Amino acid sequence: MSDHPVRLVISDDLSRKRLTVFFRLILVIPHYLWLAAWGVVALLAAIANWIATLVAGRSPAPLHRFLARYVKYATHVYAYLYLAADPYPPFDGGPGYPVDVEIPPPEPQNRLTVAFRLILVIPALLLAAALLGAPSFGSNRWRSGDEASFNFGIGIAHAAAFLGWFVSVARRRMSHGLRDSVAWGVGYGAQLWAYLFLLTSRYPDSDPEVVLGGLPVRSDPIILEAEDDLRRSRLTVFFRLLLAFPHFVWLMLWGVLVFFAAIANWAATLVQGRPPVGLHRFLSAYLRYQAHVYAFVSLIANPFPGFAGSSGSYPVEVAVAAPARQNRWTVGFRLVLVLPAWLLGAAYGSVLWPVALLGWFASLVTGKMPRSLRNTGVQSVRYSTQVYGYVYLLTDAYPYLGPCRIPGLSGGPEQPPEALPVAG
Amino acid sequence: MRGGGRALAGLALLAAIALWALAAHELWRSSVPAGLALPHVDVHQFFSTSFLHRSSSFGSFLDLDRLLASVTLLVVLAVYARHGHTLMRESAAGRIGTGVLLGMLGFAVVWLAQVPFGLAAVWWERRHHISHQGYGASLLESFFGLGSRFLFIALALAVAMGLARALRRWWWLAAAPLFAALALLSTFLSIYLIPSTHPLRDPALAADARTFAAREGVPGTQVLVQRVSRSITAPNAEAVGIGPTRRVILWDTLLDGRFGRREIGVVTAHELGHIAHGHLLRRVGWLALFLLPATALVALLTRGRGGLARPEAVPVALFAFVALQLLTLPLWTLVSRHEETEADWSALQATHEPATARGLFERLATTSLANPDPPAWSYVLYANHPTIAQRIALTEAWQARPSAR
Repeated sequence: MSDHPVRLVISDDLSRKRLTVFFRLILVIPHYLWLAAWGVVALLAAIANWIATLVAGRSPAPLHRFLARYVKYATHVYAYLYLAADPYPPFDGGPGYPVDVEIPPPEPQNRLTVAFRLILVIPALLLAAALLGAPSFGSNRWRSGDEASFNFGIGIAHAAAFLGWFVSVARRRMSHGLRDSVAWGVGYGAQLWAYLFLLTSRYPDSDPEVVLGGLPVRSDPIILEAEDDLRRSRLTVFFRLLLAFPHFVWLMLWGVLVFFAAIANWAATLVQGRPPVGLHRFLSAYLRYQAHVYAFVSLIANPFPGFAGSSGSYPVEVAVAAPARQNRWTVGFRLVLVLPAWLLGAAYGSVLWPVALLGWFASLVTGKMPRSLRNTGVQSVRYSTQVYGYVYLLTDAYPYLGPCRIPGLSGGPEQPPEALPVAG
Repeated sequence: MRGGGRALAGLALLAAIALWALAAHELWRSSVPAGLALPHVDVHQFFSTSFLHRSSSFGSFLDLDRLLASVTLLVVLAVYARHGHTLMRESAAGRIGTGVLLGMLGFAVVWLAQVPFGLAAVWWERRHHISHQGYGASLLESFFGLGSRFLFIALALAVAMGLARALRRWWWLAAAPLFAALALLSTFLSIYLIPSTHPLRDPALAADARTFAAREGVPGTQVLVQRVSRSITAPNAEAVGIGPTRRVILWDTLLDGRFGRREIGVVTAHELGHIAHGHLLRRVGWLALFLLPATALVALLTRGRGGLARPEAVPVALFAFVALQLLTLPLWTLVSRHEETEADWSALQATHEPATARGLFERLATTSLANPDPPAWSYVLYANHPTIAQRIALTEAWQARPSAR
């Protein structure tokens, strides 16, 4: 696992107080005001730091300290707001908060990357928008003339916080997966601000294993395995979207059959208490094929996938456990139960766009997919695969709601598998 | 026994050739009177010297551009036929899937090599105010157009390779009629792939279209207008579909005021002529006649790579097929000109407006900068319509026919 100098330190025990969770949006207002006021000063300090670093080749210690404090404070506030931590944060960005960030001391920096920092940060901003969520402005032309519109791209952290609010109020405990989803976005945001404020010269790394400093190893009934050397063929990268056209058509045609097969599987599982082997096999093949195509299009994997969804045929593989007995209640209400996972799935899915776009440019230039992008995208494919597997009734294990270790990908030290929770 | 078998195979081949020739003869039939002599037309009578010079220079550049693009296409595909199989390592898709990938990548490489020629053509047309499409828009349009070509090649290769796997050396016997059937289906559905169309709104033009459709024996044929004027200034029209999907499509550049009602009527009648004489169906027939020997030759040429069932044979098949298409290009343009002449004749029969048709052809030449009398090599290779001089001559021949006196 590669390390990043801006490190998220999580000591949160997942327990939450219902009262403070319920009023979290209101409780955070003083912090928001303080963050905004501090932000104005931080902006001026950042400009001064930019000039000083450009001249001296290193960030002056007082400015570095001040801006680092601000980044730490912002991380605390967002961790609190998004329910990744429970205690009310201190107003000084001091150490010891359950979701904290460590920022290294000033280091020599390349003046060229300092000069163009505002431009260099743009790709990271695209990813941050998907991981955290970001406001965007647009214009609707199709109605009466030009009409400004305001959109809010749902990010993983926002979606996880929304779901986490209900979970925490109901159980007095935040889900591990949701907390890690929030922490992933918040941690990446901290790296981004640290890079932008010249607190580090290291580019933000979106790999959840790097951001969170290790991921849980899980043994879910539907898991994603990946064996990929990051090499990409420039020719197939350039034409990647067009090469996937036949797959899109095939996916759509096969999808029509899957729709009816899923209904039949629902009825059969409701009656028998377990999915019939034939339907399970058919839907599993489609699930695998879907993952192959997504991985190919978003450059998470290199080779052109086959059209049959055969097991063991692709570097990004889906392993589906054999049909097992399922709780009939969860089968009957599957479409309702899946809604929260689906909401988070929309956020996880939105990560694939910046991954594919940025990965396209990077692979075309270097002939290699950046590890951080590949490892970010693979979490998205893993999550959507588990959601669809749950919808198709291939398992009644709820999709794991946070990032987790993908077997086969380079990562941190091995950890023992976690027990299977009903909800991540 | 072996000698007897050979004789039998020879006889079968002869019978097949005879059948092929008979079918070609049937498809070549035309309602234009046999032995119609076209009078000589001096283009200087109709066009100014400066226009003839301009249109000749315009056409020469585009012809040369097209010729160079064709040569590049062949060279690129020849290199791809030799080395394309190395790209098999980029696939995890099994035999047929890998073949599909190699087919698509072949077209991708060709597209990359032809980008300069496409841009040169856009530059030349913009310079002569024939098109005002931007370079970026043209490049994007051609890039995404490649997507539909990828779909087509994927389907064709999946079918051909699947057949080659099942029928081994004789796959082409099944593939040729199957591809012809697919072409028929695509002709039938083509109307649904044409964007930005709406019904002909001008009541007078719509009434004329109804009259001509009735006169040409295709009553009720719908006439649509396609919006292309945002990127193109040249006027054009086409006939699409078969049976219930048959339509005449007029580009909105034809209706922008540069052409009068009677001229638009001639264009409409011409397109109705294509429908009346079943030219779209006949095209599929010609395609079937081409596909039989072409696929047989592809099957023969790919044997060296283990036959078309193997993905490494796909680059060779691609090269062979495209080379055959280029070699037979003069025959395709000949067939096309033959059909266009029949459509012109049909329009004259329906409208009885030879003078209007002459005026229209003159106007079409001036608005599209079409060279009225192109060089022979360009005519043989690329002219899918008779020259403007020939079309004007046809109107004079129609006027001079015995029944008109």
